[in-house]
Amino acid sequence: MTQLASAPPRQRLRHVEHVMGTVVSVDIPAAAARALPGVLSWLHWVDATFSPYRDDSEVSRFGRGELPLAQCAPELAEVLGECAVIRDQSHGYFTTTPGGRFDPSGLVKGWAIERAARMLSAAGFADHCVNGGGDIQCSGEPEAGRPWRVGITDPRCPGELAAVVSGRDFAVATSGTAERGAHIFNPHTGRAATGLAGVTVVGPRLTAADAYATAAMAMGDAAREWAEHLDGYEAFATTTDGDTWQTSRFRARLA
Amino acid sequence: MRSVVLALGGTIAGLTLLLSFKSHAAAPPGGGADAAGMSASRATPASRSSPGRARSSAPAAPAARASAAPRTVTGSVDATTYGPMQIQLTLAGQKITKVTVLQRTDSGAESDQIDSFAIPRLISETLAAQNGGIDAVSGATYTSAGYITSLQSALDQARA
Repeated sequence: MTQLASAPPRQRLRHVEHVMGTVVSVDIPAAAARALPGVLSWLHWVDATFSPYRDDSEVSRFGRGELPLAQCAPELAEVLGECAVIRDQSHGYFTTTPGGRFDPSGLVKGWAIERAARMLSAAGFADHCVNGGGDIQCSGEPEAGRPWRVGITDPRCPGELAAVVSGRDFAVATSGTAERGAHIFNPHTGRAATGLAGVTVVGPRLTAADAYATAAMAMGDAAREWAEHLDGYEAFATTTDGDTWQTSRFRARLA
Repeated sequence: MRSVVLALGGTIAGLTLLLSFKSHAAAPPGGGADAAGMSASRATPASRSSPGRARSSAPAAPAARASAAPRTVTGSVDATTYGPMQIQLTLAGQKITKVTVLQRTDSGAESDQIDSFAIPRLISETLAAQNGGIDAVSGATYTSAGYITSLQSALDQARA
């Protein structure tokens, strides 16, 4: 149960929700509190429907061949469509079967957060920032005249920031080994991805940014050249050797 | 499932901290307010919205005084690899001046400041983020348990 106080204008509200195996932080104008229940319901619905860790989720049943796509929520077909686009753009480094079985998680969280942010905009609250476990969709401004500022953690020292980006309508997604170890596989070798300790992708939509970051981790060293040619998205990476690189237009995103 | 809500005023005088917890949040132990599920040094609407959970460690003070007087805010208890933990922030106005991590004993009766390698780092990060005016932090996906030692957690508890 979430309880909210009546708030004067300009007041902001932060809501923290444990969902999808992580924590989602929602920064909204206090007046947007009435839009919050719908957003939280959406995130929990995504969790129940898309979790590969729940045997009874639609994703699990679809993956086992027990449930035809036509009988699944239409959102699954939408996610599959998004996955197919990123798979092709990433030369197969992004895949819906990273560990051998159907698991679209590399895109679902970003997609769910982007959709949550869009729900807030549709409700009339354009100034918001939704952070799903480190993957962020920002819109508008936190206060009049000031852009959002998003810190990017240093994967070699997760408490410290490697860079700060800012903007008004943008997404930031980071993939890396710092929190959960080498959990990203190179689908072309079947082995754990090597070369990068972490990669951050900045661009307009979190769905793509999240999946691009996953693909870049799987690519390793080859990600630098690949990311240079992404349309509208920039990347910043830290290699396992401790070096960093960034795409040529990433500098424009820096705060 | 825990839920923490903070509403932060746009101005220092208007700064209001509001935290509410789900009903199964850890019950306050017998100790002082700082060891409770949360505390705030100033009576706020939170006192009304979550009776028995949000506890005031001081009576209501005029807004002008509250903006200058240091106050502490203690977050929810989270299970971590270091055991159950709470983060306590000391604020002067909107600035975080001190971050303390409390570790609850199994009995829940006492809270002590602990010294773990993660903690000094957390503190320095938080203070650095304050100076940097960061709104959110992007990093490799954290789990629910990892969230508490994340910078995002500190930011959520007291907006930079």
